[in-house]
Amino acid sequence: MDWIFILLYKSFWGGIAALGFAALFNVPVRSFFHIFLFGGIGVLIKFTLLHYTFNIAFASLAGAVAIGFLSIPAAHYKHTPPLIFYIPAVIPMIPGILAYRMILGLITLTGNPKSPTFNTTLLETVNYGLKVVFILISLSVGVVIPMLILRKESVKDIKVLFAKK
Amino acid sequence: MNELGYTATIEEMRELADVLLKVGTMLMSAGANTGRVRNTVNRISEAFGHSVEQHITQRSIMLTMLDDNGSSIFTSVRVTPHHVINFKTISGISKMSWSLVADQWTIPKIREELKRLEELPHYPRSQVLTLVGLAGAGFCSLADGKPLDLAFTFVASAVGLYVRQESLKAKFNPYMAVYFAAFVASLIAGSSSKLGLSDSQNHAYVTSVLFLIPGVPLINSFSDILDGNVQNGVTRGFVGFLISFSIALGILTSALIYQF
Repeated sequence: MDWIFILLYKSFWGGIAALGFAALFNVPVRSFFHIFLFGGIGVLIKFTLLHYTFNIAFASLAGAVAIGFLSIPAAHYKHTPPLIFYIPAVIPMIPGILAYRMILGLITLTGNPKSPTFNTTLLETVNYGLKVVFILISLSVGVVIPMLILRKESVKDIKVLFAKK
Repeated sequence: MNELGYTATIEEMRELADVLLKVGTMLMSAGANTGRVRNTVNRISEAFGHSVEQHITQRSIMLTMLDDNGSSIFTSVRVTPHHVINFKTISGISKMSWSLVADQWTIPKIREELKRLEELPHYPRSQVLTLVGLAGAGFCSLADGKPLDLAFTFVASAVGLYVRQESLKAKFNPYMAVYFAAFVASLIAGSSSKLGLSDSQNHAYVTSVLFLIPGVPLINSFSDILDGNVQNGVTRGFVGFLISFSIALGILTSALIYQF
């Protein structure tokens, strides 16, 4: 049960991270709570799937798709375009540590190729780099997948339950 | 109908084109994707019974007013101001574009609303700095940071953002501003492990710069490419890449100082 507490703790901080970006992007006050919630839900889904040993790119994709779907009713309810919810909400899932390790690896790779650790560094850097690239693609494509599936130009054309008139 | 055979006079059309370009450039510089700019401008022009063709790039928008047969009447261009992400503008313009269709707004009323949206204040600086500091702590927590690391990232992110804002005020190149911010933030956060206060593999050090990540250019890049606006998408992607590169340079500079 211990991992569930860690999961909830991390989701909370994920929501906070999303809120920071909401403030940075000057989001209207009325959408703050939803951004916090969606940021948390994205992180929750990502880390739950990671716990069940899913691939990190797939876990990120699942989180991003969930955020994309949640943004549509929220857009109706708050009269705000969905991108205002999904952009700050997916940012906490961006793999900062992996990207840093990749950059550090790339710098090391410019050094002496005869050094005994060169091959290991090369393999690790390629691994981190590919993960970063695939996670970034998953996040950016994931949030727009709902709009692609529903095939509408504007969220106003999508019928949702409990829409405020 | 006038002597040219249009229901509206040329002056009216010029005025409409001016408002449409204003809406388009405001959306573009606030961080909307190309499809949204195109849809919103089309929606407004259709509300006035006109059709337009647009050519949208990162730094300018070109718009041609069409007559009833679909041939061009005139074309105007407007340069997009520097991109400053502002979701209040996007939200406000989106709301306006729907209510002007429903309530048949006049052009002066649209101008008034645009002026109001332009003058909407940002959140107070202290609040933004605090929230971004908390976001830094959040990133650190997601990377398994300890409470002490969280505290260091909080300070580092807030000071980093302050440095970025000040550099932009001093008219530094935006990429330079990101570099300075990343350098200062990682320098502050790196001090925790350098002073022997923390042993958790530089988590604070790495996550302190994450508030700089170019989320809007990267996500808009993919939405644009998927939408068919490949040129704009590639441009945005490259901007995102350059910002990431500046962050990397900043963090590597402090790594050089600390000998990590």
